[in-house]
Amino acid sequence: MRIVKSVQSKVCVDGSLMKEYVLDEPLTEEFLGFLENFGTVRRIGQLKKPYFSFEKEHFISIRGFAGDSNVEVRYKKEFTDLVADYFHLLLHYYDEGEKGIAALRGIEDSIRQKMKVRL
Amino acid sequence: MARTGSDGQPPLIYLNNAATTYPKPAAVPEEVASCLKHPVHEHGRTTGTGSVDYPSAAREALAAFFHAGPPENFVFTQNATDSLNILIHGFAKKAGAPFHAIVTELDHNSVLRPLAALEQEGILRLSVVPFHDAKVSLADIKKVICPETRLVVMTHGSNVLGSLQDIKPIAEYLNANDIFFIADGAQTAGNTVVDLEAIPAGAFVFTGHKALFGIPGIGGFYIADPDAVAITRQGGTGTDSQSLAHPVEMPMRFEAGTHNYPGIASLYAGVRFIEETGLSEIARKNRELTYAFIRDLKKIRGVTVYHEHPELPVVAFNIAGLGNEEAGFILANAYNIVTRTGLHCAPLVHKRIDGGKGCIRASFSYFNTLEEIRAAADAIREVAGYENR
Repeated sequence: MRIVKSVQSKVCVDGSLMKEYVLDEPLTEEFLGFLENFGTVRRIGQLKKPYFSFEKEHFISIRGFAGDSNVEVRYKKEFTDLVADYFHLLLHYYDEGEKGIAALRGIEDSIRQKMKVRL
Repeated sequence: MARTGSDGQPPLIYLNNAATTYPKPAAVPEEVASCLKHPVHEHGRTTGTGSVDYPSAAREALAAFFHAGPPENFVFTQNATDSLNILIHGFAKKAGAPFHAIVTELDHNSVLRPLAALEQEGILRLSVVPFHDAKVSLADIKKVICPETRLVVMTHGSNVLGSLQDIKPIAEYLNANDIFFIADGAQTAGNTVVDLEAIPAGAFVFTGHKALFGIPGIGGFYIADPDAVAITRQGGTGTDSQSLAHPVEMPMRFEAGTHNYPGIASLYAGVRFIEETGLSEIARKNRELTYAFIRDLKKIRGVTVYHEHPELPVVAFNIAGLGNEEAGFILANAYNIVTRTGLHCAPLVHKRIDGGKGCIRASFSYFNTLEEIRAAADAIREVAGYENR
């Protein structure tokens, strides 16, 4: 999966950075399952469109609808620079399957170390 | 007005009219197009005489609409925020020495931020008056008035709770006690009768793109005594050009540079539309829509409505278990219903009503329909009833 377009805007309430991405293919249940390896995925299925959110503390949150190719990604204000590539990494390592999960966890650990230093 | 969706989306239901009204009356884009098709006509800036002098025509229309004059005391700005900055900073400059100023918890950042900046600079000391049942009374304001109080700035209508403030007695008291009063009418102008003959405010601020149906980028204010506020912007006015001092006459005193003619044309057309339709008819329809929506929301389990008796077409609410931004995102992207979420640039209101987390705001205009309101309530019912509760 890859990003074909991104639009940047600011979030009113907490000032965290928000980007809207258009992907080259719709988000699938399989991708949501992949996300569950890295954070909390919440699904609300019985709406007009099946909504999901992904929350990863200190990193990013994602909102979107299964079957859509548009997503909204919010980068936590305190570590925006450290997590700026995190959504791209999710897309990249999703394509690598099980190997990707382990590789991304390793990258996460290194990002967390940098967060700790900053705190 | 029917607005169809695209790409299999449901039809657009636009409930963000307190931010900016959509759609505009047909006469508004027509007037803007006409303005752009002809050369500018304004005395002092051109020798042309063949088209409409929009600034003069709009000033006269505004003076009649707000029952205030002379028309020259209506000043054009970019928006309400611009107006408030000109008035607040100009008043502080005129005051010279540090003074005490009053705002309310209902106020917008367009009021709070200029005053907070002046407070940081040591130019004024600021008191914030709390609201009770969505209102601020004269008695509440009197409690914080002191001998050093020179300025009160407050909203005429809350952009979050939709509550109309009774500013007449406040204006009368402040006027009698030589305290300059700026009323922020961003949410009320075009939604309710504003009779400035009866309300002796020092200044009344409005924006063009909300209930006055103009386009974004045009706003203004009325000032009763222009000498109360110092000039903070200087530039070309097309008058007294030999002098390097900015003119003190109205309206040039507060207007430097070329006007936003298309914006003024849109405001002119918007005000004429309201006059032709009747403000009372607009207010009646808005009330009907607002109360139908509140009645529907109150029947939905898990929905909290923060003010159930708004005089303005604004309804603030939250859905239990869902963040306001999340709920707004779902309504927009799954149901094509546009609301506004977050703090609505009024952080002090939210501290009181929802702990500063923000809420969903639905706001209506004359062009919404009862069918849209019902469809929006049905969507909210569906979202509020999600299975994971």
